[in-house]
Amino acid sequence: MGSALENYVNQVRTLSAAGSYRELADELPESLSLLVRNWSILDNVLETLDMQQHTLGVLYVLLGKLHSVASSNPEPTQIIQLMRDFVQRSNAEQLRFAVCPFYETCHLFTDFLVQKNLSILGIKVLSRAIEQIRQLDTQLTPIHADLCQLSLKAKHFNVVLPFLDTDITDISTVAAECKNQQQQQPQHTLDANNDAKYFLLYYYYGGMIYTAVKNYERALYFFEVCITTPAMAMSHIMLEAYKKFLMVSLIVEGKIAYIPKNAQVIGRFMKPLANHYHDLVNVYDNSSSEELRILILKYSEAFTRDNNMGLAKQVATSLYKRNIQRLTKTFLTLSLSDVASRVQLPSAAEAERYILNMIKSGEIFASINQKDGMVLFKDDPEQYNLPDMFLNVQTNITQVLDLVKQINKMEEEIILNPMYVKKALGSQDDDLASQHPKTYSGDPTD
Amino acid sequence: MQEDSYSTTLCQLENEELENTAMSAENYQQMLAIYLYLNNLANAKMLWMRIPDNLKDQNKELDQINLLNIALQHSNYSDFFKHMKYEWSEHNKAIINDLLVSKREELFNLTASAYVSIYEQNLIEMAQMTPEELKSACFDWTREQDGDKYILIPKIRESAPRVASDDQLLKLTEFVSFLEN
Repeated sequence: MGSALENYVNQVRTLSAAGSYRELADELPESLSLLVRNWSILDNVLETLDMQQHTLGVLYVLLGKLHSVASSNPEPTQIIQLMRDFVQRSNAEQLRFAVCPFYETCHLFTDFLVQKNLSILGIKVLSRAIEQIRQLDTQLTPIHADLCQLSLKAKHFNVVLPFLDTDITDISTVAAECKNQQQQQPQHTLDANNDAKYFLLYYYYGGMIYTAVKNYERALYFFEVCITTPAMAMSHIMLEAYKKFLMVSLIVEGKIAYIPKNAQVIGRFMKPLANHYHDLVNVYDNSSSEELRILILKYSEAFTRDNNMGLAKQVATSLYKRNIQRLTKTFLTLSLSDVASRVQLPSAAEAERYILNMIKSGEIFASINQKDGMVLFKDDPEQYNLPDMFLNVQTNITQVLDLVKQINKMEEEIILNPMYVKKALGSQDDDLASQHPKTYSGDPTD
Repeated sequence: MQEDSYSTTLCQLENEELENTAMSAENYQQMLAIYLYLNNLANAKMLWMRIPDNLKDQNKELDQINLLNIALQHSNYSDFFKHMKYEWSEHNKAIINDLLVSKREELFNLTASAYVSIYEQNLIEMAQMTPEELKSACFDWTREQDGDKYILIPKIRESAPRVASDDQLLKLTEFVSFLEN
């Protein structure tokens, strides 16, 4: 083993034994290039360190290993096993001193797995990594985006869905972490620029995952967060999210879902770049399935290029369903062949199939009479008098109350924030100076 | 509970899949069948997409379960019951049988709620049963002659009213006492 590496091991051992993790974390980044250069003997270094006691030292060795995969070309199973052991056995307390390198390790690990087409094996590792590094259950970390990417690649969503289902209240970014630790290492500035990327990716991938499991409402919310993120310039992640947002909002609402006014980026940059999708929205508005079908065929190349063809087909199906739903509002009974011609389905049998499926999924309430070939549309039979409905209302109320509590808590935090108070008072001074007639109460909602 | 035991098996298999690249075709068959039984079609679809191609090509039974999967994705009962007729191997027999029973029940419940009347021949087509089997399955439905065909008038089976649990009663009492004060 080279003497420089021996020094590395000694440094890690001495400082870890003394418990000076802060100092160690500050000094280790300098050794990274040394580790990368000596990639061939890193396994020997690992043997001399203990994951539990020397978490920081091992972390940097892993980082060095992952940085040098291009030249070392290691056995994937070895790297996966190392990462698996590391997230199981590393010391979370020590890890807190090196949050940024840990994020970087996870990003590199993700890239490595995607490249090797072994995404499915990383899902558990990363979910464990998130559990270890996040400070709150509702904190978003840059690793979330990696986990989503692996899940999408592997087409396996059982592990990631609980993460996505949690509403985020706090975001851990590289910039914030570096500030906390007063580290100003130059190599982290690049990472800090990626904070926005990982945030957007999380919501973009999350939206895609929800779309895949057909939870369209939640998918719409994820895409909305992605496209309404305050920005001066447009990210391509936002553009792709916008395209999917348009399609999913057609499926959910039949029109473009409400977009908050503050998202100027959409009007200025995204609309001109998503022409095909706006055409789709316009044609959908005419309620003509035939026209929609022709349009999708016309743009099929563009949709396929954007990987949105499947979604386009879902949009087409949803229009048939929406048109049938519209009929239930006008008619009490209608013959099956009439239904078919009105919603432009090829045959009465096809219409019957659609109606049967919609009855099954509770989208409409109707009964079919095959004897005279009629459909009888009915009202929603729900009387709101069953225990199930009561339970439903009860859970909804609890959810809303929890949300109110959460908002109050967050508002209180903001009001007590010295920066905010200073700013609020500052503007009061300005108001007084300019002889503003309105008295300022200090409450931003006024 | 049968459902619980399937969920436990599924959990084990899912965990195994996450740790291990080479799963056997039998495990995949079982997982796919359980997803179908639990009516988790989105997961079934994803599972099929991630099963390695070489297994798909070599394994006839896996392919057969996927035919069931596709039929269910399109809510095509007639195809589903058609593909059910297959010599299932021993370790899949139980779950496939449960799947068949639950889907038959679903079909009859759906027919009862969605149809005022249905031609007997159409229902036979959908359920892929012999006329005798059908007769015994819906013995309480009215059967009328319409020209040379028979038409069935389904009878909705009343579902047993759910009794409110203690927990719910407690909440209701709380609510009432809140209103009184």
